Formats: sequence, C-alpha cells, structure tokens
Amino acid sequence: MTEPPGLRTSPRVLLVHTVTFRQARAFVPVLIPLVAATGLGGGRTTIILLALAVTLFSLLTAALTWWRFSYAVGPSAVVVTRGLLARSVRTVPTDRIRGVEIETPLMHRLFGLVRVRIDAAAGAVSGKDEEIVVDGVPRAEGDRLRTAVLTRTSAQPEPGMDGAGEAGPPEEQFARFDNRWLLYAPLVGSYLAVPVAAVGAGFRLLEELGQRVQPDLDGLDLAGGWARTLGAVGVLLLLLAAGAVVGAALVNWGFSLVRRGGSLVAVRGLVTRRHTELEIDRIRGCTVSEGLGMRWVRAARVNALVTGLGDAGRRGQLLPLGPRTQAWELADRLVENPGPLVTHPPAARRRRIVRAVATGLLVSAAGVLATVTAGWWWVLAVGIALTVLGVPVGLGRYASLGHATGRESFTVRSGWLVREQAVLQRRAVVGWRVRQSFFQGRAGLATVVACVGAGSGGYAAVDLATADVAPFTAAASESWAAEFAPR
Amino acid sequence: MPAVASPVRDPAWQVSRGAIGLWVTEGIIGAIVLALGTAAFLWFVPASVGGPVPFLRWAVPILVVVDAVVSIGLRPRLRYRVHRWEVTDEAVYTLTGWLSRTWTLVPISRIQTVDVTRGVMQQVFGLASVAVLTASSEGTVRVPHLEAGVAQRVADDLARRAAQVRDQAT
Repeated sequence: MTEPPGLRTSPRVLLVHTVTFRQARAFVPVLIPLVAATGLGGGRTTIILLALAVTLFSLLTAALTWWRFSYAVGPSAVVVTRGLLARSVRTVPTDRIRGVEIETPLMHRLFGLVRVRIDAAAGAVSGKDEEIVVDGVPRAEGDRLRTAVLTRTSAQPEPGMDGAGEAGPPEEQFARFDNRWLLYAPLVGSYLAVPVAAVGAGFRLLEELGQRVQPDLDGLDLAGGWARTLGAVGVLLLLLAAGAVVGAALVNWGFSLVRRGGSLVAVRGLVTRRHTELEIDRIRGCTVSEGLGMRWVRAARVNALVTGLGDAGRRGQLLPLGPRTQAWELADRLVENPGPLVTHPPAARRRRIVRAVATGLLVSAAGVLATVTAGWWWVLAVGIALTVLGVPVGLGRYASLGHATGRESFTVRSGWLVREQAVLQRRAVVGWRVRQSFFQGRAGLATVVACVGAGSGGYAAVDLATADVAPFTAAASESWAAEFAPR
Repeated sequence: MPAVASPVRDPAWQVSRGAIGLWVTEGIIGAIVLALGTAAFLWFVPASVGGPVPFLRWAVPILVVVDAVVSIGLRPRLRYRVHRWEVTDEAVYTLTGWLSRTWTLVPISRIQTVDVTRGVMQQVFGLASVAVLTASSEGTVRVPHLEAGVAQRVADDLARRAAQVRDQAT
C-alpha cells in the first residue's frame, strides 16, 4: 500500500506557538530555579536580553516541533509522525475514528489557523492518549481533513440509508443558544466555580509576588459594623454571579446545534471557537441534568450518550444551558420519549430518609457523649441540625427517583444535588446488574443498573420494588433480559 | 442467606468444589501471616509499655484466632454457596455476594472479549477464572474458580457464539 506523502502544518503556527510559548512552557519549571539561582541583579538590559532569549528559545522549540511533525490521511488510516529525538508514528484506522473537533483559539484565529482534534477512542484505553491533535492548519485544510476522515467513517456502516434515504432537509437546526440563558449561569455549580477558581489563582499569584507587593490587608478595618459587612458580602455575591455569567458566555457564546447529514454539529465559544461533530448513528441516548439551583429556574442541560466518545462530558454536550422545555424538546428529537415516570415504592422513601438522616444521628449520638463527658454541647446542636436537614434532603432524593419504559426506549432518574435523567434506547443496553444490599432485601427493594457502552457506563434505577425488577429489565432491553424471570 | 424475596432468579450452576480448597488455603496463609505478626507484637512490645498494651496483648491474639476460624472454617463454604453462574442460550449470568448480592446478566451478542486467567494458587488447584467484557465498564461478568478445562471450554464457546451472533446482527 502506498502511503500518501506526509503533510506539514502551516508555518504560521510557529508564530502562534512562539507567542504563546506552547512548547517552551514545558521548560518553565526548570528555568525558574535557574533564574532564581543566578539572580536578577542586573538592570534593564538584563531583562531585555532575558526576554529576547526566552522568545528565541520559544521560537526554536516551536520550529523543531513543527519540523518533526507530519500527518497523512490515507484511504484506510490517519498517520501522524512526531517526536524530537524519539520518532513516534501513530496509525489510527479510519473506522476507529469517533469524531472530529475543530478548535479555533484566539491566536489561531488571528493567523487564520485551526486546531483539529481527531478522537480515536480505543475503548479500553482511557486518557488523553486516544486523540490525535493536528495543531495549526489553515481553516480550509482543517475542513478538508474533517470531511476526508469523517465521510469514510460514516460511509462504511450503511451507505444507502444515511444520505439518500433521509427525507428531511440536509441541514436542520436542532438548538440555538439564546443569550438570555446566560442569566441561568449563577445558579449552575460548574459555572460558579469559574470565578472562584480565578480568585484562587489571583491569591496564589499575590502570595508568590512576596510580602512587599502584597496590599496591607491587616490594616483594613474589618470592624466597620454590620452594614459594611453585609455590603461587602453583597458585592462579593454580585461579582461571583457576574463571573459565572462571563465564564458561561466565554464557553457557550453563539452555541448552535445543527444536523448535517448523518451527524450533529455543535459550534460554540467566544474566544476559542469549537466545532464538534457527533455521528447520530452512535448516539445511544441522552441525559437531561438539572442542578439544585437550575431546578429553581427550570433550567437544564442535555448531553448525548455516544458510544466510544472520549471526553464525553464536554464533547457530548447538546445544550449546555437552557430552559427545561427546550432541553426536553431536544432530547425527544434524539430518543423517543418513554412517557411519564413511575414513582418508586414507599419503602424507597423510607430508605432515602434513613440514609440522609444517618450522618446527623451519628453526630448527635457522639454529641450526647461529648456533652456528658466534656460539655461540648455544640456537637449535639450540629448533630440535631444535620438530622433535621436530612429529612428534606431524603424527601428530595426520593422525589427524584423514577423510571419508565417506552416502546423503543426507557428512562431512569436519580440524584438530588444534580438530578440526572437518562433516556436510553433499548439497544443501548449491553448488560444488567442488579444489586441488593442486606437492608434493601429487608425493605423489598433492589437497584438495577443498565450497563451502557456510552457516557458513564452505567445508569441506575435506584430502589425499585423487587417484583418490578424483572418486568422492567424485560421491557427496557431486548429478549435476552427474560433470563432474569424465574422459570 | 437472608430470608427475603430475590428480585430475580438465581443462576443454576455452582463454581468448582476445588474453590473451597483454594479459599481454605488462602485463609490458612492469611492466618499464618497474622499469627506471625501477633507473635512479633507479643515478643517485641512488653506489657510494661503501658497504655492500651496490656489489654491489646489479650485482645489481639483472640481476634486473630476468631478471624482464622472464620476465614478457614466458615467463609470458604459460604462463598462456595453464594457464587453461582450460568451460561444460557442468550446470556451469561452470575450472582455474587452474601449480605449485599449482585446479579449480572450480559447477552452473548454484546460480548467484546472473553478472558481466562489462572493465578498461581489457581494453577495449584487446577482452577481458572473467566471474565466476560463488554463495551460498558459496568457490564463485566466474572466467574471465579472454575475447573481449568471447563473455563477454557466456556470461554471458547462464548467467543465463538459471540462472533456468530454479531455476524447475524450486521
């Protein structure tokens, strides 16, 4: 077989990498102690020379990496050759490629370049290793690469069915981000973490700058009365909310989900544009998740469960944030809706409450002991508070439980902090796992996990009545599940 | 076994009787290690150290003896009773666990790989374990301690049938 000639990435990527110190960054941990050891005693000349040296070094490493990297898209495989001293040649068969993602960070955009990530999930292998990154090709070449890789993939399984048989328009809008939805962001845990992380990084920077530069916080008058404290807390909360909105906007700006032929294309991002493609054929279901805060305002997010997709949490996102009605509309388009949820038996409610209250009771018991022996009454107070709070948590957890089976699909829901409902196709199930602990057995309950080769691998119907287990599994998967029924 | 209703039926077959011997041997080895540790403790830590040591000098040997009795006399038989498995026309089915029980059912059509492993101890007793893997990290069926010949035959049979079913499916 003749391999096509290896292609280089665009030389313009050298500039991008030089400016962002992409390769040189790896040497920073080595350089810092070196610089610290020699000292920065000199004046302006030293600093300029140093900056020049660092830039040159960055250019050199970038050039070496560029020179040693080549890629080729053959008829049956993608081959990537790289490595400075030790050459590594990576061959990925085209039929193993699950998806292609095109990323455009800010600097790349200035130079008209894109970064292409080819996802070659090998199934058992996890981690970053399963993807090929071709960093810095012109936009047109990126598109060519994507179509070259993907048309071969999707053409193989069923040539007739996808393109020609589809009656609908070749391109169809599935979801589009409304900027008003950004206002949901302060109620979503993951977006709230963005400003907190930024503040944390800021503090670390301050610490590293040393004592001299640090602002004199100790001199600040903290005893300024309640009004000032409240005001400060209010401002802080506002900043937090604003940070969450900005964070959400950066990631989700201009999000849109389009069906193009046999795949779903998601585009999003303000600074870094991301272009992700998922094959509809590989979609086995989706999850609709609502955090505690999101449930307040009826917001939800939708993720697709795709077989063999690496980094599924990010790539599988079909609707990062939006109203619940929109979320369900989208979910129903992908997987048939199995209908309203069936609630679980009252024993499940008792079990949820007992489990939620258990910690509080334990602390209370310890508290009684502590009060008697050491006079630490506050332990008891905390224990009682935890116990009382446990009741609504337990009730909330029970309210989340539910399952349903439809003609072609089934669904399970659980979780309180983040309530997640998974809607799955019947064919998605590759196995069933039924678990019954001692106490579950006493209460006549069992947990049923649908094993799925997508997403987190298992989706559980928690605390089903024992009598419902066999009927549920039989209704939710193909004929083989009848083995569970007593003979 | 707790007297409660099972959610699903139990698989029909038991693991090899040789497994009891293997578990007993493992229990004996564990007990010897613990006994040596206890002897070292009694030898090197005199009661005059104070604190909880005088109490521990009594309690630790008793605990070790109790553990030895459980892990040699009781647990192997119990394990033998609770581990069950079955291969039917369409699926592989196992049950494990005593207080907390887990039934796993995987259809032959979704099997990706079948592994047979033989540990050092297993080789001594002529046993082998079969693991059936699917695309899901949760959907793995493990059948411990079958007779080596049986395990190999089961694995070959499953692999062959999985390939056939897949041919029909596509």
